[in-house]
Order: sequence, then structure tokens, then C-alpha cells
Amino acid sequence: MIRQLYQRLLGPVTLVLLALTIWLGVWVTPPDKVQGNLVRLLYVHPAIAWVALYVSFGTATIASALYLWRRTRSWVADRVAHCAMEVSVVFIILTLITGSIWGRPTWGVWWAWDARLTSTAILGVLALGYLALRRANDDPTLRAKRSAVFAILAAINVPIIHFSVQWWKTLHQGATVFTSNRTLLVHGSMAWTLLISFVGFTLLFFWLLRARYRLEVARERVERATLDAALSQRQREGAL
Amino acid sequence: MPNAEPLDLTPVAPPKSPSRSRWRSMGVLAVLVIAVVALLSQGILHSLNYFETVDQALAHRAKIGTEVIRLEGVVKPGSIERTSKGASFVLSGTEDRQVFVDAHGSPPQLFQADIPVVVVGHFTSATSLDFDGSQIMVKHTATYIAAHPGRVKAPNGTSR
Repeated sequence: MIRQLYQRLLGPVTLVLLALTIWLGVWVTPPDKVQGNLVRLLYVHPAIAWVALYVSFGTATIASALYLWRRTRSWVADRVAHCAMEVSVVFIILTLITGSIWGRPTWGVWWAWDARLTSTAILGVLALGYLALRRANDDPTLRAKRSAVFAILAAINVPIIHFSVQWWKTLHQGATVFTSNRTLLVHGSMAWTLLISFVGFTLLFFWLLRARYRLEVARERVERATLDAALSQRQREGAL
Repeated sequence: MPNAEPLDLTPVAPPKSPSRSRWRSMGVLAVLVIAVVALLSQGILHSLNYFETVDQALAHRAKIGTEVIRLEGVVKPGSIERTSKGASFVLSGTEDRQVFVDAHGSPPQLFQADIPVVVVGHFTSATSLDFDGSQIMVKHTATYIAAHPGRVKAPNGTSR
């Protein structure tokens, strides 16, 4: 019942929240004291980065850990890790693109080799490496184990990205939402819009993950059916 | 005509030599490893700390000399002057430490007084406090305040 409701409502709720984010972000919320209308990127970039770093990469890492742990080992976990990592690559790229679009008018440059930006780019390369590693192995068990270990090792970069603005001096601003003293540094309707954008993009991730997972299951089914058909054909040829 | 015996379809071990696609994937992995190393050397090892603050630069003034650095400080209100080359202004640190900056090129859109900026450039001589800037970058803070405070109320009812 709940599962059916989740499956039916996930898409529409995601679209409503994203539409609400656009409406509030573009027409309702006020401009920022310093950044003016550039602040409207606040409702896109941090939420995408949140999904890229914590939600999608986190899902891939947890699913990888579940696969490696014998008690919870299943092909579902491996499949979820793979699909979440694919979606993560998309969100990491979007994080870098939206960050650049925001950086050019605010900082004055498209890119800076500071610790936050560089470590995020490294995470993107690691995520691509995970996908390449999966294609480098033909044995499904070996592939699942190696990629799971790789995902967990790559996840070490996530806390480095998170704390980079505290550990080192960066051009990238410090934390706005996840501040050390738990104080949100965004005011009024801007904060509510930011919250809605976080929820909207998080749901978008799960919607994309679900679609990608179903596609992967269908692909595996077609692959098995093709193999079975080839084997049957060989058997028929042998019987002649 | 062969006899109608069923074929032996028992799974066999895969060939030891990797397939072409596998070699291609290994190649992609190698390129990605090189990319990570390049990113690490460029970003993390060379500019782990992206800039020197005015205080730090003045504390190590003799050591820095006329070396190109990224200098960070707050633009002193009332000090900005548009010049034919770009802009000149005073960068403040703490305890009233100041550096005079003469920057070339157009400042970024958000460049203004009383905000932190990072200037790429060098001191004009080994002992001078004049800084010749080639690029200005605005380092905005993590705080977002509405431009019209009266329109936005904080949860406790106050306008910020």
C-alpha cells in the first residue's frame, strides 16, 4: 500500500516541489543585500551539491557496504550502488556547472583551484572511475566486490569536501546550512525556499534512481532472455 | 548428418586474455587515475590554502618579497577609486594592517567596499606595502540577507 503510494506520488510530488522552488526562487523571494538577484542560484546549486555529495554518493556507498557485508549481500544492493553512482555523476557535473555559473559573476572567475572545488572535481573523476571499473570486469561477483570496495574508498573524499572550507582557506564560501554551530545563515523566505529546493532535488534523485534501477532490471532481463534464446537455438541446431 | 545428441552447454571458464572492451575500460581507468593525480597536484598540493590574508602576508613580508601571491582582505570603505587600468583600493586586515592595491582589469560585478576580496598579484618591491594586482576575485560570505529587510522577518519577529 505504502509502496504503491510512494511509486505513484514520487514523480508528481517531485515536480510540484521543483516548480514551487522555481516560483519562489524567481518571483517571490527578495534579492540579497550583496549578491542582488544572483542569490537566486542559491535555490539550485546547494541543493544539487547536497544530492551529489551526500544523498547519491551516500546511497552508493551504503549499498556498496551492504553488498560487502555477507549478511546483507544481494544483487539488489549492487544494482542500487551502480545506479546511484550513475545518478551521482550527473549531479556532480551539475554541481560543477551551476557553481561555475554562480562563480563567474560573484567571484569574477569561472573556476578556482581551491580545496572545495578541486576535491569536488576529484569526486567526479572517482565516480567516473567507479563506472569504468564496472565495465572492466566481466565476472559479476568480482565486479560487484571490486566496485563496492572502490566506492567505499572514494567516499573518503566526501568528508574532505565537506570540511575543506573549514580546514583550509578557500575562495568558496564557508558553510551556510551545515554550519558548525547549527545556525542557518539564510533569512526568512529565502530559507524556506532553500529547504523546499533541498527536498525537491532529493526526491528528484530517488525518482531518477528508481527509473534507472527499473531500466537496469529490464536490461538484465533482456540480456538473460537473449542468452536463453541463443542457447535454445544452439540446442535446436545441435538436434538437427 | 550428425547424431541428434544434445550439445554440452556447461559453462566454461572465460578466456584469459582480456577482451578489447576490457582493455578500453582499463585505458579509461588509467586516464582517470592520471586525472586524479593532476587535479591533486594542481589544486590540493599547490593551493591547499588558496590565499594569504593581509595579516599573514605582512607577517611574512620579507619572505614573500615580490613573489606572485593571492592576497585576501576586506576592501576599506571609501578607498575605492576607478583608474584607467582598473581600480585602486585599500585592503584591510585585522589590527588596522593595510595594503594599498592597484589592480588592472575590470573588477567583478559584486566588487564593492566592505566585502572580502582576493587579489592575485605581487608587492611592487621587497619592502613596499603597495600591491600590484592582476585579478580581483570577490570572496562573498556565507550569510544571505534580504536586500529589503522590512520584507523579511526572522523567526523571532525581528528584521535582520
